[in-house]
Amino acid sequence: MKKIILLYLTLLNIAFAYNYDDVLLKAQASIFPKIMLLDKKVEDKLIRGEIVYTIVYDKYDYNKALEVGGYINETYKGYFHKYKYKINFVDVLELSDKTEASAIYVLNVEKETQKVADIAKKKGVISFSYDIGNLKNGLMFSLVIEKSTVLYLKKENLYNQKVEFVDSLLQIVRFTESDNIKNKVLLNNGSEFDIKYAKTVIDIFYN
Amino acid sequence: MKRKISSLSTKIVLLIAAVAFLITFVIFVVSVKINKEAFYEIEIEKANLIARTIEPLIALNIYLEMQSNIAQITHQLIENPNILAVKVLKENKIIDEIKSKEYDENIDNSFVVKRSILEPTSKKEIASLVLVYSNKGHKDLVNKYKNLVVVLLFVLSILFILFASYVKYLLSPLKTIALSLKNYSPSQEIEIPFTSQNNEIGLISNALHNMQDKIRQYSKQQQNINKYLEEKVNEKTLELRRQLYIDTLTGLPNRFSLLNDVANITNGALLILNIDDFKEINDFYGHVAGDQILKDFSNKLTDMFCNDFNVAVNRLSGDEFTLLFMQKPSLENFTQIAKKVIFDIEKTLFLYKNSEVGIRVTIGGSYEIKRGLERADIALKSAKKQQKPFLLYDENLNIEEQYKNNMGWVKALKIAIKKSMIVPYFQPIFDNKSNKIISYECLVRLIDENSNVIGPYKFLTVAKKSKLYSKLTKIMVDKSCKFFEHLDYDFSINISIDDILNKDTVAFIKNKIVKYGVEKRVVFEILETEEIGNYKEISNFINEMKELGCKIAIDDFGSGYSNFEYLLQLNIDYIKIDGSLIKNIDKDIHAQIVVETVVSFAKKLHLIVVAEYVHNEEVYEKVKELNIDRSQGFFLCEPQAQI
Repeated sequence: MKKIILLYLTLLNIAFAYNYDDVLLKAQASIFPKIMLLDKKVEDKLIRGEIVYTIVYDKYDYNKALEVGGYINETYKGYFHKYKYKINFVDVLELSDKTEASAIYVLNVEKETQKVADIAKKKGVISFSYDIGNLKNGLMFSLVIEKSTVLYLKKENLYNQKVEFVDSLLQIVRFTESDNIKNKVLLNNGSEFDIKYAKTVIDIFYN
Repeated sequence: MKRKISSLSTKIVLLIAAVAFLITFVIFVVSVKINKEAFYEIEIEKANLIARTIEPLIALNIYLEMQSNIAQITHQLIENPNILAVKVLKENKIIDEIKSKEYDENIDNSFVVKRSILEPTSKKEIASLVLVYSNKGHKDLVNKYKNLVVVLLFVLSILFILFASYVKYLLSPLKTIALSLKNYSPSQEIEIPFTSQNNEIGLISNALHNMQDKIRQYSKQQQNINKYLEEKVNEKTLELRRQLYIDTLTGLPNRFSLLNDVANITNGALLILNIDDFKEINDFYGHVAGDQILKDFSNKLTDMFCNDFNVAVNRLSGDEFTLLFMQKPSLENFTQIAKKVIFDIEKTLFLYKNSEVGIRVTIGGSYEIKRGLERADIALKSAKKQQKPFLLYDENLNIEEQYKNNMGWVKALKIAIKKSMIVPYFQPIFDNKSNKIISYECLVRLIDENSNVIGPYKFLTVAKKSKLYSKLTKIMVDKSCKFFEHLDYDFSINISIDDILNKDTVAFIKNKIVKYGVEKRVVFEILETEEIGNYKEISNFINEMKELGCKIAIDDFGSGYSNFEYLLQLNIDYIKIDGSLIKNIDKDIHAQIVVETVVSFAKKLHLIVVAEYVHNEEVYEKVKELNIDRSQGFFLCEPQAQI
């Protein structure tokens, strides 16, 4: 019976869990901490002298969150540059103002993204989104692998007085408009690119 | 010869053009050089700026490990035509490199900019960026700049040509003014152009116009002054001419007037009147009185001949007047007029203040007007000499010949002195007891150009008149002392009263006798024939000479104004009896008496008596008989050049 229940749960997880792009996850795990360090006010965000990198996940993606944490530890080995860090895994439903976070990385969360964005804004921390589509809900950064790796930044979400990036970062990011985020992103050469199409391409390419 | 005019305006313009060209050229060269470097620096700066701009992007991409984005950036960079190549190196490995199409073509004209790529957070070098930048832009810029400067120079040249033309145009009035002034003369008014112009040319024209007015006025004044001066010069000329021919004191025609008149007369006669001893009147009454008497005398003469238009009265010199006869009167009448003048003047008393001054005149006359002035003068001198009131010139007087003879001797004397041909001859003086030579008398001789020996009677008088006598004395003293310097004989030298009174001659004599050491053997024979006026000075001379050891003799004793009292005072040693007493002493009883008296007198004074002119045996015997101590004369021995 237990086996049946465990199998049931596993299948349930498989059935309900989001299908993440590992390459993208690895890329984001590698790049987002670095982007956090490009904030000139990163020191203001230290909690007890260390960076708390909070990964917010849906209840079915806990394992993926752990996987991402593993990627980060594997890459940074306990330190973001000179700062010691801690990875905080938080279920999106449990996320509140009291949740400690120097930066928030949100996995694919179908609901509550607005809440995450508001908390991040309130805390004055940078928010990263696995899904570029969540930028429209107020999250700040996302990363897409197209012909090359492209960083997306929601322009409206940049007006946070507690965050100040190095200038050059703003030169390499690609700004998104709220209306376009839904389905398309503006490519570097000015052409539009359908996200869903992109996801399909990525999936085909990597899978 | 036409003067070449060099245009001032051309010079100004050329000078400005030269300076401007020089300045422009210097500015051009300097600016090209500076700008060339500046442009190059700009290119480098541009390349650096690109590198600086792009470096953070590349750095961020490397940092975020988004290296695929680097190619996009470098690709964008290479679109810049000046960038030939871009290279990104990480740990000496090329992670990205791109080259333009022009790379190979322009690689020689390029430079490289290298920049470190720093990590955005730690600022550590994580890579390096190399840009190969083309110089083409720089060259294009320099060429554009050069073209611009050339165009600028061309424009400047055009401007200078215009400027030069304008300057020439502005200064052209000066040339016109100069041409108008070319033939200017103070007497002619010229129209000076451009006076109405309200600029510097106008100022010059107006100034010249004013100057012309002033010159004209000044010229007019000068003409008036010249006219006035001419009149004054004419007046003065007349006055001077009058003064030239008129004696200012007496108002009579003067010597020049007389010479003019004489030259115009062919058959006249001339009398020269000289006021006797007029110098004494001047000295006694003073020159003012003398002048007054001369005036009165001239008035007297004028009065005497005021009615006789044939006779002109002239003043010849100080106290000499002339009566010029325009027509020769008869000789008798001529002589009578002269005598009447003498008579009338003698009986006339001239008054000066309260004194009556009587004067006498001596007249010399020439009955011939040819050389009348000289002849009348000769006649006057002869009359003075002969103490006659009037003498008419007579060719038989042979006076001119005497003058000629005297002048000849003066010349001969001067030549003899110059050629040292005045020499002493030596005549021995014999002691009458021993019949032996006891001393010599040094006698002066002149050796003429023909080696003739000339005795002193020919030239001594002339020497005295021509003031050469003291020279002869000095020559005789020098040569005689020198001759007897080493001979053991006494010798005597003749000196005159004039020599004794001449301090220079006396000093010379002292010097020579001391120099040759003959003080004890020399005898100075003082000529007694001359009137001795100043016994005191002669006595001093004698005493000085005797102190030196010399002896003194009185020469030609008995010929002059012998004064025994004075002779006693003069402390002499010898008396030489005059030849005129000795010459006929053997026959002339009177001479014997005189000589006996002199010898007796001399013996009492312990003086030695010498007889001169012993010319024969009878005389010699008589001299001895009269107890004369010594003798000399041709009978005993003639003077010789050597002894």
